[in-house]
Amino acid sequence: MTHGHLWDRLAEAKSRLAPVQSKYRVLFEDPATPDEPAKVLVPDPNFMAAALAGNILPSIDTYQRDRLVPDGQPKEHPYAEPIGAMSEEEAVEYLVMKDIDPAVWRDYNGNRTIMKIVPVEMIPSDRSFRNAWRIAQ
Amino acid sequence: MSTLNVSNITDGTDTVGTSYVVNGSAKAYVNFNGTGTIAVRDSFNVASLTDLGNGSHDVNLSSSFSAADYAVSGSTGGTNQSNHFNGGTNVRASAFNARVLVANVSTNDDAQVHAMAVGDLA
Repeated sequence: MTHGHLWDRLAEAKSRLAPVQSKYRVLFEDPATPDEPAKVLVPDPNFMAAALAGNILPSIDTYQRDRLVPDGQPKEHPYAEPIGAMSEEEAVEYLVMKDIDPAVWRDYNGNRTIMKIVPVEMIPSDRSFRNAWRIAQ
Repeated sequence: MSTLNVSNITDGTDTVGTSYVVNGSAKAYVNFNGTGTIAVRDSFNVASLTDLGNGSHDVNLSSSFSAADYAVSGSTGGTNQSNHFNGGTNVRASAFNARVLVANVSTNDDAQVHAMAVGDLA
């Protein structure tokens, strides 16, 4: 049986999997905009459910290759073969590679730490403090 | 998972082409709390949210659109009734920016941020 389109697999997964709230957030700074507040990546609960279940999401390599594909050209990730189940930590690393610019997690050569994966309770809920916050070195 | 391969859908009286149904369906949606440590209430085809700062959030998609020319719409709620949604800034095939604006000039966190996107998937 063909594995079909990723969107169809996500629709089928949403109908049978309970959402999973991750206990992690990814805190990062963009080296291109050092004056902006630290950014927070929040995993989607339905994405986490799909990642933990397996056989729904494509390999992260397909997303990375698709970054180089111009708009309007065929992309690889929608029809790529799905991969197996991930742990929660692997799913968060997958999201880092998928949704954060490689300039932050792969290409940054500076001495400062600009990205951390942290438990959600470490993120300040008060925006006025968060906007003044920098990743502790 | 099985597939029905049909060109039209009918109830016996009215008929509609399946292409209208497919093209007209929202390909992604999200409902989230943009205050405090932001949290998703419900979603589809969303991989993650990125909290970029006050009232500005990137919605990162699992299954990308074919190009950055799809349509984003949304709404806000919460307690500040002057808030309104802006989804047309920084649209990319794999993500869009959902912002909550106040009086057109500044961004503001809102407890109710709803967004959906319609267009052609990759």
